[in-house]
Amino acid sequence: MSKNKIDTSFEQCMKCTICTVYCPVVAVNPAYPGPKQAGPDGERYRLKNPLFYDEALDLCLNCKRCEVACPSNVKIGDLIQNARLDYGTHKPKLRDYILANTDMMGTLATGMAPVVNFTLGLKPVKMVMDKVLAVDHHRTFPKYAGQKFETWFKRYALKKQEQFSRKVSYFHGCYANYNNPKLAKDLVKIMNAIGYGVNLLEKEKCCGVALISNGFKEQALKQAELNLSSIRKAVGRGEPVLTTSSTCTFTMRDEYEHILGLENNDVRDSIALATKFIYEAVDSGQVRLAFRKDYSKRIAYHTPCHMEKLGWAIYSTSLLRLIPGVDFLMLDSQCCGIAGTYGFKKEHYRDSQKIGEGLFQQIRDSRVDMVATDCETCKWQIEMSAGVQVENPISIIADALDVEETIKLNR
Amino acid sequence: MKFDTIIIGGGLSGLTAGIELSRKGQKCLIVSSGQSALHFFSGSFELCSLADDPYEAIAGLGDGHPYSKIGLENLKELARGVKPFFKEVGISMKGVKDANHWRITPLGAFKRAWLTMDEYATLPSDGKAPWKKVAILNVDGFLDFHTSYLASGLSEIGVESVIRSISMPELEHLRKNPTEMRSTNIAKTLTGDIIGVLAARINEYAKDVDAVFMPAVVGLTGCSDVVRLREKVDRPLHFIATLPPSVPGIRLQLMLKRHFQKLGGTYMLGDSVTGGLFEDGRLKSITTENHGDVRFEADNFILASGSFFSKGLVSDIDGVREPVFGLDVDSIDERPQWYRRNMFEAQPYMSFGISTDNDFRAKKDGLPVQNLYGAGAVLSGFNAMKEGSGAGVSILTALHVASLLNKQ
Amino acid sequence: MKEYDVIIIGGGITGAGTARDCAMRGLKTLLVERHDFTAGATGRNHGLLHSGARYAVTDQESAEECIRENMILRKIARHCVEETDGLFITLPEDDLAFQSTFIDSCQRAGIRAEAIDPAEAIMLEPSVNRSLTGAVRVPDGAVDPFRLTIANIYDAQLHGAEVLTYHEVTSILKEGDTVVGVEVCDAHTKEKKQIRSRLVINAGGIWGHHIASLAGANVNMFPAKGALLIFGHRVNNMVINRCRKPADADILVPGDTICLIGTTSSRLPYDQIDDMKVTPEEVDVLLREGAKLAPELAQTRILRAYAGVRPLVAADNDPSGRSISRGIVCLDHETRDGIPGFITITGGKLMTYRLMAEWATDLACKKLGLDKKCQTADICLPGSEDETSSDKSSGKRERRSGLGAKAARGRHGSRSVNINVADKRDESLVCECEGVSVAEVNYAIETLNAKNIINLRRRTRLGMGTCQGELCACRASGLLAKANGCARKSVEDLASFMNERWKGMFPVAWGDTLAEAQFTSWIYEGVCGLDAFEKKEE
Repeated sequence: MSKNKIDTSFEQCMKCTICTVYCPVVAVNPAYPGPKQAGPDGERYRLKNPLFYDEALDLCLNCKRCEVACPSNVKIGDLIQNARLDYGTHKPKLRDYILANTDMMGTLATGMAPVVNFTLGLKPVKMVMDKVLAVDHHRTFPKYAGQKFETWFKRYALKKQEQFSRKVSYFHGCYANYNNPKLAKDLVKIMNAIGYGVNLLEKEKCCGVALISNGFKEQALKQAELNLSSIRKAVGRGEPVLTTSSTCTFTMRDEYEHILGLENNDVRDSIALATKFIYEAVDSGQVRLAFRKDYSKRIAYHTPCHMEKLGWAIYSTSLLRLIPGVDFLMLDSQCCGIAGTYGFKKEHYRDSQKIGEGLFQQIRDSRVDMVATDCETCKWQIEMSAGVQVENPISIIADALDVEETIKLNR
Repeated sequence: MKFDTIIIGGGLSGLTAGIELSRKGQKCLIVSSGQSALHFFSGSFELCSLADDPYEAIAGLGDGHPYSKIGLENLKELARGVKPFFKEVGISMKGVKDANHWRITPLGAFKRAWLTMDEYATLPSDGKAPWKKVAILNVDGFLDFHTSYLASGLSEIGVESVIRSISMPELEHLRKNPTEMRSTNIAKTLTGDIIGVLAARINEYAKDVDAVFMPAVVGLTGCSDVVRLREKVDRPLHFIATLPPSVPGIRLQLMLKRHFQKLGGTYMLGDSVTGGLFEDGRLKSITTENHGDVRFEADNFILASGSFFSKGLVSDIDGVREPVFGLDVDSIDERPQWYRRNMFEAQPYMSFGISTDNDFRAKKDGLPVQNLYGAGAVLSGFNAMKEGSGAGVSILTALHVASLLNKQ
Repeated sequence: MKEYDVIIIGGGITGAGTARDCAMRGLKTLLVERHDFTAGATGRNHGLLHSGARYAVTDQESAEECIRENMILRKIARHCVEETDGLFITLPEDDLAFQSTFIDSCQRAGIRAEAIDPAEAIMLEPSVNRSLTGAVRVPDGAVDPFRLTIANIYDAQLHGAEVLTYHEVTSILKEGDTVVGVEVCDAHTKEKKQIRSRLVINAGGIWGHHIASLAGANVNMFPAKGALLIFGHRVNNMVINRCRKPADADILVPGDTICLIGTTSSRLPYDQIDDMKVTPEEVDVLLREGAKLAPELAQTRILRAYAGVRPLVAADNDPSGRSISRGIVCLDHETRDGIPGFITITGGKLMTYRLMAEWATDLACKKLGLDKKCQTADICLPGSEDETSSDKSSGKRERRSGLGAKAARGRHGSRSVNINVADKRDESLVCECEGVSVAEVNYAIETLNAKNIINLRRRTRLGMGTCQGELCACRASGLLAKANGCARKSVEDLASFMNERWKGMFPVAWGDTLAEAQFTSWIYEGVCGLDAFEKKEE
């Protein structure tokens, strides 16, 4: 069970208990040992004897809020994820395989999107999935688009990009590719308006976050290596790699190194959420944005857990605040409960909803037109549970943008 | 990104400074690497506990002491503003400005305090207890509070007590977890409608006593549960601190942070400063772990990064350093001199901290950095433990530095 | 007045083993200890289950004793032993030629010693210094001296022995030249009482020098101090030694959740044996040499430093004390000094405690005219009765149970079934670092003679983990207050426990250890006001 590199950050633990305060799981499910026991306390015992591994670590959401709270820089979440991968004996189920393989599912589904969307939405199908696959019947799978973003891009947008001298690369991720190509198109729209051409990566696979959390480390490693190699090529061309999902971003920047053990320091700073890239450009005066006069909405921002960990909410929210027609509200930073594929699983459904309850209530009370967030799974959870439309800040900016004027300003 | 003032450290000192500056319209950023030591708050602020009159005690402190740098008259003026300051944040505190009172500790000891949260048990300066008989309650199975210690301490000042244990079905789920029957998890349960049930239960035990004491396990995210519970309990209800985590401390942290954000401040949690760019004796900008090469610029900077626990100071086998900027540190070279063999003696290491001039400007290579100020536990020259001055130094140095910056 | 066949003075491993042996042979036995069990050298060593390899070159007799006892302990004390095996590594600065001498000597003493390729050594023990030029694998292991002592005491009690802790022997009662009992002073009440016996066995370790003098005998002890450091987690899983003549800080032993490096060796005046300090120089040597065995130690948090005194019987004038045989010394003071009724058992080492006990008990039986065979090598200690009580299998059955139950099984072996878990309250963890539950604390109080927090630490590992008692001490103290009904006494005990923890921490208090110490002070002195309960005469 020995790993090449043992993370000894657990040694810095002061046993101060702060992490336990901010764990969303332990507050709703006492079967979870809590971050302190599951992380630094447990690690000392696992080093003594792997039999001390506790299967209840599967209940961890990997939200990393423990790490954000820790005053002693203990990589609590990483310790837990690594322990699950190294010592866990639970074999992933077929259901986990399906949930984790977003690429494969996406490729299969987009080809026959209307059928798949219709079928997955049927009550009997949901009940079968609930019973056979233990995918909770309350959940609706995100709809698959009829045409992948990649296909659209190659057909309709690729050529236009050649006119720009400045370029960025775009890691669209599974969600923008299969489920919400509009988000990806919105990014192209904004970038083109501010004078940047967009390239796709030479090859792109799912970032692997769901593979990691479902225990498919080997496959995650393969995909990560492929992504890193593509990213390196883009960075080598002088192109920063932009993203529109906080989770993909976090996974490629942090989990690739901390969980998969891959060296990514050479490109880590070049992988950025598009909102960060755009805000920095605006803040430094290199780029100017013009917005539609008729845009008017009350928008609340929800900080996804991995956005909290990245510490980048400041960029997305600062951009949204730039829109004159936006009445902005910052929601308390708390977990929505979905945590990627976690909330889809029947055994976690109840916890998932309980965790998010405080957030849902705050949203319901806030009487906003829309919630903005940088994570697609938070979007599904909030839309389902709080009944409010949720959009990525990039889509909101794209909608509010006065494209013609912006092009003029940045010429 | 550009701010008026950037504060490194988001605990009591950093937030106090941030609020005071934001109130005067400054655009502030707080960078905090993890949650703060407020999570172990006792419920009381100490100003100086060496005598009944804190100012008399402060007058006797040495030149290098942060209080001496503020100056006694100035300090009195700032101290007058502390209670209203916290009132505005939403925390109401009891205590008079020039006399310490006594706080009752979880072990049944009595410690001098200056301001104490309203709902906490205190004795007046003369130490005379206003109760003859009290009920001491604990949550069944909660290991971080011991009723018998409190009872023993109270008996020494002539207060009789009855000890009662409260169990409620709503708390049973916590018992399933061998470690999570913690103050904060209890508080997450004892909120909302259940407060009425709790109050009724407490009233069963409160019939023939003058007051009821219980561990501070209510009111994690705001004061409303505490206020409601105290209204519904027939006798005066007082809280006593528990072992960590501290429910009232977390509430205080949260309310300070919310207030700071409400005033327009930006609070970045879980990020640490990786370095600073110094030019002509000034700090121009800082970079952080999460933001890579992004430069955060400001006119002024306040270092309120705390002491060893909070990593504002770090030590290794060879010495003590300030890890963010490599500032000058007042410490002792010979390691054996850092300690006293008896834990309860004044430990010299507790007084280590960054070296500052009389305006709290931090020194680097012997010279003050013109726009970098120190505040709170990172400062040298005081022993919070022995003087009972921790919160006082944190708050007053922050207010003092903020007032210097607001005048600029 | 009740009369015993034998009174054993000293609650270290030798006294405990002797009490067990005496009781098993049917003697009416009392053990008296001035503090707590394992408070002396027994609780202040490596916890190394020597294969004997370390002594093979210099002391064949000790080496042979070691490997025999090593094999016995693996059987009778399974739950106290970790069968890790050990490496004797040669570093570039060492003479590789020593290796063959070493292997020959081991084999002559009956110790399996096999030279292995450095690459294989690195594979077996990834923490080992990668610049090693040679390695020998030997059957070293780890033994928990606290567990071992408590198990011996417990078994002695199960066989009818009685024990008195916190009773100091203030004089040896004599009738004429014959020893007929002891006078003891209760450390708490300060009351003195006399207890009579047919024989008194002095198993006081280094303090046996003083005990002997009380009886009018002169046993010259050689106090050699050895300092050790405890690290925050298990860096290594095999014992790592240097393959050279024994020197400072050349053994790194894993033990439960930690590992420890030791020792230094220096002469100590006899009047300082109760007040040992680890010096900064000793810390430096331990760290420097330790990092040569496993470089990771240089970055590993040190929990505490401590020192023990080797109870060697002075034999020559060697200033280091190393070339002295660790041989067992069993003195019949009747023949040696003309003092009938008095026996001293000393010398030896943790590894040979059982043999020492056997010798002393054989002599006692002879004197008392009892013809009973020693059975301590054949009958397992309580906790080690069944195969599954070894550490390797701990947790296997309870894969799904919590840390507390798993850890308790490791500590108490098969006897952990006696830890009474009536309801969920009992499963709550008192010590979160080491997984000590309310039930285990209560078990230690009720069954294992634990009277204060330090006692609990020795019986359960409570407070031995990363934070050195930051939350658990207060929790445990509350449980003790409940058990003994005196709050004031328990808080005072808490104050002295925290101070005792600090004394082990400050010699290594930098980095995380200093931050932890500051945090602990905030909680205990700042929030709780524990300083008000410090007993000044401590």
